[in-house]
Amino acid sequence: MRGTMSDHPNSLMKESWSMLATYVTAIILVFVLTFHLLLESPLSGKSLDATLTFGAATNNLTYYQVVFGLLLLTAVIHGLNGIRAIAVEWLHPKRFRLVLNLIIVILMAFFLAVGTYTLVVVG
Amino acid sequence: MTEAKRYKAGLLPSLNPLGFNVERWSYALHRATGVILVGYLMAHIFETLQLSGGSGAWSNTMNALHSLGPLEMVGLWIVAGSALYHGANGIRLILNEMFGKLMGKPILPVYPYSPTSLGRDQRVAVWTITLVVLALWVWAGMYLLAGLGVV
Repeated sequence: MRGTMSDHPNSLMKESWSMLATYVTAIILVFVLTFHLLLESPLSGKSLDATLTFGAATNNLTYYQVVFGLLLLTAVIHGLNGIRAIAVEWLHPKRFRLVLNLIIVILMAFFLAVGTYTLVVVG
Repeated sequence: MTEAKRYKAGLLPSLNPLGFNVERWSYALHRATGVILVGYLMAHIFETLQLSGGSGAWSNTMNALHSLGPLEMVGLWIVAGSALYHGANGIRLILNEMFGKLMGKPILPVYPYSPTSLGRDQRVAVWTITLVVLALWVWAGMYLLAGLGVV
């Protein structure tokens, strides 16, 4: 019986899910990252030094906690998934892919934990 | 390069950017800027973590960054350019790959295999993105590098 591509152990369908996550997080990032950059730009009405003070930085994290939480989640998933996509082109054997996926998931969990800790403590 | 020489050279010519078309250039730049942004993201998460240590820890972090001198603002300018290019080119890629926009219709592969994805719309999109990003990058430079007396 002929199998479909999704039956294969290195199924393209898995990569499709990963690419879909990349596209969805990219669309969200366009909006939340633009918002973050505008908060730090001259358009906010403040100088660069004024946006980097302890008060200004903690105020931003407190008032826009949900936005920064969404930014953290999407940036970490999009960024590390992008690194995984680049590495997958070099590391073809399946055993390398398993190790690579494991490293990427651990890194995602680590950076999400550090970022969430900051948001909870400061916010 | 002749066909025989190209086969013997293996993958090495693919590392020579002079032979790239605009789509390949944008592909290479998208990846390079992506790697820069991931590096910055990791550092930025740890930088922001210092806020949880109070104003003293934050001041120490800012002082350490300021001690880098001009490198601090030049680094931020490179990150700003990377974010602008990666974001704008990413929107083009989403239109291409998720919605099939700006690309030609698929055809049977016929020698010399000119890609239909490199039609007029695609070229206009690539060059428009390049010009808009360059303009915004210059503006970001005027803001970030003003204190250095560069602009």
